Amino acid sequence: MAETTYIDAIRRALGEEMERDANVFLMGQDIAAFGGAFRASKGLFEKYGRLRVINTPLMESGAIGAALGAALVGKRPVLEMQFADFVSCGFNQIVNNVAKTYYRWEAPVPMVIRLPFGGGAGAGPFHSQSPEAWFAHTPGLCVVAPSTPRDALGMLKAAVRDPNPVIYLEHRFLYRREKEDLGEGDLLTPLGRAHVVREGKQVTVLSWSWTLHESLAAAEELAKEGVSVEVVDLRTLSPLDEETIFTSVRKTGKVLIVHEATITAGFGAELAARVADQCFEHLDGPVRRVAYADRPSPYNKKLEQSLLPGRERITAALRKLARY
Amino acid sequence: MAATKRSKPPPPLTPAGTDPKVLRRAHFLMRLSRAWDSRFEAMARVGRIGRWYSAVGNECTTVGTALALGANDAISTVHRDLGAVLTTYLDATRLAPALFPAGDATEWDALRPPPQSLLDTLASQVFGRRGGFTRGVDRSFHYGLVKPDWGIRHVGMISHLGSMIPVASGLALANLQDGNDRAVLGFIGEGATSQGDFHEALNLAGVMKLPLILVVENNRYAFSTPLAEQYACEKLSDRAPGYGIAGETVDGLDFDAVHAAMTRAVARARSGEGATLLECMLPRMRGHAEGDGSYELIPPAEREEYLKQDPLARFEAALLARGQADAARIKEVTEVTKAIIEDAVERALLTEEPELAEATRPVFAPGEVATAFARQSTEVTGG
Repeated sequence: MAETTYIDAIRRALGEEMERDANVFLMGQDIAAFGGAFRASKGLFEKYGRLRVINTPLMESGAIGAALGAALVGKRPVLEMQFADFVSCGFNQIVNNVAKTYYRWEAPVPMVIRLPFGGGAGAGPFHSQSPEAWFAHTPGLCVVAPSTPRDALGMLKAAVRDPNPVIYLEHRFLYRREKEDLGEGDLLTPLGRAHVVREGKQVTVLSWSWTLHESLAAAEELAKEGVSVEVVDLRTLSPLDEETIFTSVRKTGKVLIVHEATITAGFGAELAARVADQCFEHLDGPVRRVAYADRPSPYNKKLEQSLLPGRERITAALRKLARY
Repeated sequence: MAATKRSKPPPPLTPAGTDPKVLRRAHFLMRLSRAWDSRFEAMARVGRIGRWYSAVGNECTTVGTALALGANDAISTVHRDLGAVLTTYLDATRLAPALFPAGDATEWDALRPPPQSLLDTLASQVFGRRGGFTRGVDRSFHYGLVKPDWGIRHVGMISHLGSMIPVASGLALANLQDGNDRAVLGFIGEGATSQGDFHEALNLAGVMKLPLILVVENNRYAFSTPLAEQYACEKLSDRAPGYGIAGETVDGLDFDAVHAAMTRAVARARSGEGATLLECMLPRMRGHAEGDGSYELIPPAEREEYLKQDPLARFEAALLARGQADAARIKEVTEVTKAIIEDAVERALLTEEPELAEATRPVFAPGEVATAFARQSTEVTGG
């Protein structure tokens, strides 16, 4: 069986869900014959036509608003923002219209907004951001960030089927680097469930998406030094799987939170607060974070690399925490 | 006759060409809307409700356009569209049987629920009570009612007014995808036409030939901002050719003109010819909200001119002049609608406040995500 890349897993999820439910449709810029900037929808336009793979004009707010209208009368739109950075142009529709509808008048809004995000490509300040905290702060949005092809497939399928708006963060750096044999069948990953990827005893790492892989590499390094690190892939940031997180932290007594987004008011701050609140008696060290510096992402690759929270920084932070 | 923002209002026109059944229903619904506003304006004046955005002056436009729709056409409304809401929701013939001959009930009326119950829900909604559409969590017309079995597809507003135009375009997109011939009527004020969502939505409507009719209720002031500070084109419908859609500006006080323009727009929508931008020129008869000081900013002579243009007075004068109603009928409709609203308001005032648990009701529809949200220990306030 051939291995499936992360981006192929996304394409498979879109195709399978469109085949399963005629109400599922795609909207985005350059997604039809071109297949999208990253070819996530390649081949689907030919199969499903222009009313189910809709090439929109250059618009974000208008597309998200239109998807909301369609969702209110039974459709299941899956939107692609060409780059996650551009979602800011549709921010109001997401946080005020889409997110608040169910609370206000109990109309379900089944909608997925795909955000190709993240750095590492030397793409500069407007093609590298990690915007999860913008949305995790808003009640009414489910925010997910799969790190493996299997979860990219299973969580996108689950997101399409859920009757709520899901912000789906897919990391561009992982698109063609991560691959695994997924086999056949209807593979679903539950939303709202974290995954203990590596079991350990002395320190817990909480992470997601690209930094999850960097954290695993760091854990491997620490193992060579005799330090046992547990790595938890949060997968869903909101709603948060506190049970899995707290169980791990209570076991190890130490926690390092790693994310690619800038550190101040990043999602790690929320995790740190909850861990401090709920695991206080079990902590044997400070709750630490490794994240991006409070700067836009610089264009030059060396400059960017100097700010990215990669395996070296995580390894160093784990060493310090383990000694604590 | 095309009205522009700079022209004087045209003389009263008569609704001569319209079907008597449509005229009877239109008169009743316009009076019902006016009775509602009169009652709520009075309550706002004495502080019994916090805020009221009056639809006085808009009735001819809201009722005249909404009456051109059929079951499961959709509407998207903002502040001053009570007339369109009532037109869409209510079987007028069941609400006031004495006022309508037997043949006035439509096929859509047969689908609609008992009108009194919807009117009561609407009144409770405005008071923020338990029985309202949002059970107290959002205000007045900030809700929707999508009930295909009743033929009703209504999406209400959020406070970011221009944001509703893309939503209306999405309702139209769903019709296109389903291959049906249903139309969507979206309302917006002239102020929101300055927002980016207006452009994005109408551009999409043009590109995809969406079955959308966007009615701009141009009442010449957005809160306090006059037209000259809002846009620099002659008419807002001048923008339509820029989107490749049809555009028309009509006197929003002329029922016949409004209804005819809307009927043309609906025909375009149903036949796949695409969207229409229909600008209805209206007098500013009230402030942005009652008692917020915005009305006093309008020069007194201009205010007087607007008050003289009352669409209901003109509509009724035309009915009389054409022999389509007599003074007794007009008096009866006025009294019956007033009593209906009075009853609905009194009943709503007797209803209970929402339960406090409504404040923390779910933000997610039932499913995996909602279950995960409910598991979060600190989901409300922490500690």
